[in-house]
Amino acid sequence: MTAMTQGAKPAGRTFGEWIRSRDGQKVLVMIAFMVIPLGLLFTFTYLPFAEMFGFSFYDMKYIGARKFVGMKNYIKVFQRDDCFRALKLSFYYMGGSVVQLVLALYLATILSFKVKGGSIFKGFMFFPYLINGIAIGFIFKFFYTRGFVFDTVLQWCGFNLDHLPYWLRDQRINNISLVGTSVWRYFGQNMVLFIGAIMSVDSELYEAAMLDGANRFQQFKYIIMPSIKTIITLNVILSITGSLSAFEPPYVITDGANGTGTYFVVMNEIAHTQQKVGLASAMAIVLLLIIFAATILQKLFFKYVFKSADDEDLNATARRDKKLAKLAARKAGR
Amino acid sequence: MKLKKVLALGMAAAMTLSVVGCGSDGAAEAPAADGAADTETEAPAADDTAEAEAPAADAEAGGVPTYSQITVGEDYTDLTASIKWIHHKTDREEDGTIANMIAEFNKVYPNITVETEGVTDYAEDSLLRLTTGDWGDIMFIPAVDKADLATYFQPIDTLDNLSKEINFADAWQFDGTCYGVPYMANAQGVLYNKAVFEAAGITELPKTPTEFLEDLQLIKDNTDAIPLYTNYAAGWTMGAWDAYVGCVSNGDDTYLNQKFAHTAEPFADPGDDTGAYNLYRILYDAVANGLTEEDYTTTDWEGCKAMLNNGEIGAMVLGSWAYAQMVEAGDHGDDVGYMPFPMTVGGTQYVLAGGDYNYAINVNASDENKTAAMVFIKWMTEDSNWCYNEGGYTVDIDGENPPMYAAFDGCTVLSDQPALPGEETLLNDINAESELSFNAGGDAKVQRIVEAAATGSETFDDIMADWTAAWNDAQASLGIEVNN
Repeated sequence: MTAMTQGAKPAGRTFGEWIRSRDGQKVLVMIAFMVIPLGLLFTFTYLPFAEMFGFSFYDMKYIGARKFVGMKNYIKVFQRDDCFRALKLSFYYMGGSVVQLVLALYLATILSFKVKGGSIFKGFMFFPYLINGIAIGFIFKFFYTRGFVFDTVLQWCGFNLDHLPYWLRDQRINNISLVGTSVWRYFGQNMVLFIGAIMSVDSELYEAAMLDGANRFQQFKYIIMPSIKTIITLNVILSITGSLSAFEPPYVITDGANGTGTYFVVMNEIAHTQQKVGLASAMAIVLLLIIFAATILQKLFFKYVFKSADDEDLNATARRDKKLAKLAARKAGR
Repeated sequence: MKLKKVLALGMAAAMTLSVVGCGSDGAAEAPAADGAADTETEAPAADDTAEAEAPAADAEAGGVPTYSQITVGEDYTDLTASIKWIHHKTDREEDGTIANMIAEFNKVYPNITVETEGVTDYAEDSLLRLTTGDWGDIMFIPAVDKADLATYFQPIDTLDNLSKEINFADAWQFDGTCYGVPYMANAQGVLYNKAVFEAAGITELPKTPTEFLEDLQLIKDNTDAIPLYTNYAAGWTMGAWDAYVGCVSNGDDTYLNQKFAHTAEPFADPGDDTGAYNLYRILYDAVANGLTEEDYTTTDWEGCKAMLNNGEIGAMVLGSWAYAQMVEAGDHGDDVGYMPFPMTVGGTQYVLAGGDYNYAINVNASDENKTAAMVFIKWMTEDSNWCYNEGGYTVDIDGENPPMYAAFDGCTVLSDQPALPGEETLLNDINAESELSFNAGGDAKVQRIVEAAATGSETFDDIMADWTAAWNDAQASLGIEVNN
């Protein structure tokens, strides 16, 4: 630090000399490299966001006059029953993401050991992630149509069509149907991330564990899980925040109707059909805060869960130290 | 030294930009004001155009003629311009209909080049492009507030003059000036399959909601067809029901734009099988009695066209624009029929006819382009036959109607009267505030009727009461005077 400040403004050097010196060039290069990414980040992320934040205080449409209304939009977000009812649907998607992560972790573990045709399975399971979300929506619209793909397959398995529910019409299960599409789409991607993390585990550990007589489940519990906890945490956080902002399945498959309108779909309806841009912006800000809160809570949660192993070790050492100290004391006392 | 140069260049650039900025601002204002301030700068250009092409050039509008001043095929035939038109008819762009029409246009006006762009999801995209100002010279007017029309569009003509040339001139008028010309017009009725109706034993077309529901029941009992297809899943197809809220359900052509927003209980049951109440009751009762498709959440818009054509569907509530598509969708085009909406007010069946999307001209375009655009629009309206070919109700006042409207004989055809001066934006405002959005994308509220009827979660009266409450709340928060 001191060296840098000294280099930056040594006495007796003019600005021109300084800029041509090594230090000056360093600063110049740093600025030059930073300007473009920061400029892009600012222009396309922070500036629009700031604009939207501003919009949330106005009663406005996309075009036409705007009226400043202060916090009214935010109050409305909390007063309207459709906004938070929509947020409740996120629990379906959160439940789905738990299923999705467990499934992904299970398959990743299996596939990371030697399995016949492993690459083909990996490919097949990753494939849905590569398809466009809108296309997936259309696929599943037909998939769930009465008497089409899903019903036919179930009939092969011996189900009677009359006893099958209407997958998208029945309000008790239509959200689960929609969550199913999102699980189908994303579990492959999670799986590939998990496999990547598992690959980085030193294989000698497995050998050592096997020599000690550990079975596959024990290997998973004591070697794989602790080694990939970072990536698990990341995936859980991404899935939970993702389920708060679920949009594509309900928007494409059911148009948000019939009790499937998630927060984003409601927001889209308010912004584009009702043209209440200010209210929709306020909804977006509220959702952002909720996502922040959810992320921080999760961070704290994982800190607690995963740190406990290390904490235990620390306690153990502390205890050991204490014991040793006692022993030493006893020895000394003798 | 270098720094100074850069600074100087920067200053120069900034100054040029600001000068350009002023210039374009001035040009933009010119047509709106009577041009007093700009006469000096604009005068030479106006003179040029006047000498070169415009026999009846109008100095007031900055050299751009109005709609009624143009005689198609005679004026401006040697005008050279290149104009761009963005529109929503992507299907007609793809099948070459639009290219053919432009080729015909160029036989009369060889030097006007028309570039077109079909925009999918037009209703939203066009609004965004309108705000950026980068869209060309002609567009179909999206959902803008009428007070903003002059900011974006060149006046087409006065309402008085335009009404003598075309039907439905008043759709986009503000303070007596029209900003748009409809490319075609729709009469709102109900699509049905003649063969299915015959097989069900229906000899006379229904005239009231109750008769219609009885006929649907007949179709269910006597045929295998789906009596009424809701098209629930597509969403916007449900919004089609809103078209009958106005004069069809009460025979008053001033109702929708002048009285609806002031009505205290627009969704009350008048008790005589009319009104908005009985209009939506058809849908609720049809769904509740199982007269619609089995699984409404997976209806398929593209598929339903062929199904109506083949006699798998009895009826669908859609505007006349859908007629041509249903006829083309299969081998039984002759079976597709169009009937007035089954509602009789005081012994008369009323039919609402109104313009579809309206052509409008960019107010910021150059005078040549504006003139060329005006010529193009008038040619499209009078000589292209597009409206007739699409099965539309005629826009040109001298045009003829396609044969599909035979069943409309004896009905009174009305088009909604414009809002009273000073209240042009009232319906938009209350629609947005109440979030019911009649005729403005309020599909969700109609879908709700289907859901409620199918699951029994709400009675029809509950829904109507809820709508009334939303309407009254909006009236209160907007300070609208309520008449009983």
